[in-house]
Amino acid sequence: MISTIALKEITEMRRDDRFRWAGAVVLALLLVSLGIGWSSYRELERQHATAQQETRKNWLTQGQKSPHSAAHYGVYAFKPKMPLSLVDRGVDPYTGVAVWLEAHKQNDFRYRPAQDANSLARFGELTASTVLQTLVPLLIILFSFAAFTGERENGTLRQLLSLGVAPSALAAGKALGVAGALGLLLVPAAAVGSAAISLASGDLDSGRSILLGLFYLLYFAAFVGVSLAISAWVKSSRVALIALLGFWIFNCLIAPRAASDLSKRVYPTPSSFAFAKAMQVDLNNGLDPHAASQERAKELQARVLKQYKVDRIEDLPVSYAGLSLMAGEEHGDEVYDRHYARLWDQFERQVHLQDLIGLVSPLMSVRSLSMGLAGTDFQQHRHFATAAEQYRRYFIQEVNTDMVKNAIGKDYGYLRGNDLWGTVKEFRYTAPDLGWVLQQHRAALLLLCLWCLCGVALAYLATRRLRVE
Amino acid sequence: MLFSIMRNEWRTLLAERSLPAIGLLLALTIGYGIYNGQAWVSFMRESLAATQAEYAERTQKLQSDFLAYEAGSKKPVGFSDPRGASAVGGTSAVPYVALTPGPLAALSVGQSDLYPYYFKLSLRSKYLTLSNDEIENPVNLLSGRFDLAFVIVYLYPLLILALTYNLLSSEHEQGTLAMTLANPVTLKTLMAAKVLTRGLALTVLSLAILVVAIFGLTLTGNGVAWRLALWAVVMLVYGAFWFVLAVGINALGRNSSANALLLAGCWLCFALLVPALLNLASTAMYPVPSRVEMIQAMRNAGKEAQQRGSQTLARYFEDHPELAPAGGGRPDFASLSTAAQQEVDRQIQPILYRYEQQVSAQQILVDRFCYLSPAVLTQQALNDLAGTGIGAYRHFNQQADRFLKTWQDYFFPLIFARKLFVSAELASLPRYVEVPEPGSDIVRRVLLSLAGILVPTLVLTVWAIRRLNRYRLAA
Repeated sequence: MISTIALKEITEMRRDDRFRWAGAVVLALLLVSLGIGWSSYRELERQHATAQQETRKNWLTQGQKSPHSAAHYGVYAFKPKMPLSLVDRGVDPYTGVAVWLEAHKQNDFRYRPAQDANSLARFGELTASTVLQTLVPLLIILFSFAAFTGERENGTLRQLLSLGVAPSALAAGKALGVAGALGLLLVPAAAVGSAAISLASGDLDSGRSILLGLFYLLYFAAFVGVSLAISAWVKSSRVALIALLGFWIFNCLIAPRAASDLSKRVYPTPSSFAFAKAMQVDLNNGLDPHAASQERAKELQARVLKQYKVDRIEDLPVSYAGLSLMAGEEHGDEVYDRHYARLWDQFERQVHLQDLIGLVSPLMSVRSLSMGLAGTDFQQHRHFATAAEQYRRYFIQEVNTDMVKNAIGKDYGYLRGNDLWGTVKEFRYTAPDLGWVLQQHRAALLLLCLWCLCGVALAYLATRRLRVE
Repeated sequence: MLFSIMRNEWRTLLAERSLPAIGLLLALTIGYGIYNGQAWVSFMRESLAATQAEYAERTQKLQSDFLAYEAGSKKPVGFSDPRGASAVGGTSAVPYVALTPGPLAALSVGQSDLYPYYFKLSLRSKYLTLSNDEIENPVNLLSGRFDLAFVIVYLYPLLILALTYNLLSSEHEQGTLAMTLANPVTLKTLMAAKVLTRGLALTVLSLAILVVAIFGLTLTGNGVAWRLALWAVVMLVYGAFWFVLAVGINALGRNSSANALLLAGCWLCFALLVPALLNLASTAMYPVPSRVEMIQAMRNAGKEAQQRGSQTLARYFEDHPELAPAGGGRPDFASLSTAAQQEVDRQIQPILYRYEQQVSAQQILVDRFCYLSPAVLTQQALNDLAGTGIGAYRHFNQQADRFLKTWQDYFFPLIFARKLFVSAELASLPRYVEVPEPGSDIVRRVLLSLAGILVPTLVLTVWAIRRLNRYRLAA
């Protein structure tokens, strides 16, 4: 029975011009966005790989110089792209593409790609994720707003129910029909998408890709459920359509902006000027008010002289300049840890609060999960930034250690060549695994499942109350 | 006759509560949008005030240090002489170059959350010095902001459509249309009355909220009046576009659901699809390479210029003989590094130019085809009036570049001449005077956008009237 209803629905939709056109437009947009996503992913990946090699080459061949000059010259770290980022670019246009790792300073990421864009960029970019998150739900509404009201208006609902068709079977058949019609669009798109991903990267990260597909299916299921429920609940197609469009507008347009404003209000962040100033104050004066830089220098000197049991700096068996650089780095690291952790924790609190808005807007949940799986969410940006900062501390430590041991008496006049630079290991970034990502987005995952269940339950309840009049 | 229908419409709208509901929604969203925009502008103003305070404090301290050096009570210490031109012009006396938010900035955030609105100057190209990007959660940048412009561009048309999608179809479906038209009234008069009632209600309401909100903001600054007037006109014309579109669709004679679908489809096209596709086309035709390439070019150029040290300086003097110090002698660190930096700036200029070239090629394409979407035109016009659009930032960047040139031209000869500043000279350094974008440029752009919305509105009006003339009750 259910399959008969579903087949009848699909046949009807296939015959209706509106559905054919709308479906074709969405499919075309999905394919175009996948194609564009694929080519820009390949281009970016190539640029980043080349740049990463070049920055390493620059480091290795910097020639004779003081280790401290080399530390100042530093290296750049470029965030690698994951193949799934061709589906969802996430926050990538709004985070800088690279960070300069140098002595004394933890820098910010620079050059946000969105700054090199035309005036339309802020209207929203057409990526596969936008199509899936905003247009497909609209298609679902189009397919299903009249599911029950249409039958009622045509007078066929009475006939159907008089035949003894259980309302729940009717609902299941309608849902299956919508699913089938969507499947006609999404199956080819998914095939093209996976082909693009495996072409782009050589291997398809099947775990992430399957989950991504699954999460979008949950999102669509929630929409199908809500649409059928509304269609069964209200009296006319007109009211069903208006109610569903209202929900869509809230979900896609209002919720993300309102969520970002709300999270900013609840967890405010400093201006970049105030942030830099507060950090500078701590760098100069020390975290502890008694430890201003001159105090710290005196204390270091006394400690070192005592440790090596000598009376004068000149008699030390190590380079004092090297030691004081190391002490400076240690102090800087503490300050950066405190300030950046505070800022990024605040960003993360904002993100988590926005995930909770998923309670009223399923888009927020699926967006969060989609960015997570594509490796383009804030948490993975932070993960990379932290790894880059750890690497900065590692290589600065390496060159400073060499200076402490070998620059005795020469300090900044001590020069080293490419052999030392070669002993510094290259920066290799390992992206977090799937478990870590899901852990970050657990609230979103929970809410998305909840939405799907609620959608199904609502549809079930609404059809149980289904009356002819 | 018109007025009595309007009175009747008004009563019906009030009775069925759709107008009060939509009015409330509009009032809430407009109020919230303005409040949000205002919070952002206050944030920017506070940041700018903080930079000015820092500048004042720094220059005051510099002045007193210089006086102390001159009195001999303090010795100039540091890696390089703090009185040297490179220390003064490169760090200790550098001013901020800022784009002060315009009088209506609170009404449209536009691009102001993305582009830096102030630079701390140095002697280098502003692309190469440290970032002035405002701290912002990238997720928030992705979502965009809930400002008044967002309400007008996206939500206002939807509210209009909610009030008008069934102007005729509902009367038709209830069977009241035939009865009404049996009276001595034409369909056109009836439609005019319906549209006018709703249009007037929405317009009066939104203008009233705007006025109240704006008095709350106590807007000051250059050209508040004409900006606000144009703002209201843009809003009116954009609203008119959607009203006329709804009338035309109603005149096609379909049922309410079909009308709602068609109108929602139009909204989707104009507000989401056309901008996204146009953006896609422009980025596909004129792709902007990732900045990682620029970083690499900068590194390579820097490495070479530094390694060749005095050669770079010598070549620099060949190119700029007027800057070469008389007498020669061993070049000092400041001269060497300034020449090296200039060499890097010179070498990466073509690369920077390529980025600008691609972005402006995109923008030209967008400017040509933005007439396809009244939503885009409205957003651009509102950004222009608020001073937060691409045009305002382009103007600001040109100003900043020009002042940087002035600053460099002032300091470079002094660096090579190894000039040491004295306290009296600190007050006469070049000063940045912010020149706001000329009002005539803004007005010209806004009028173009307005014309772009007005022409299709007029065409639609003619079409809607012709459809109404052919409307058959029996259909």
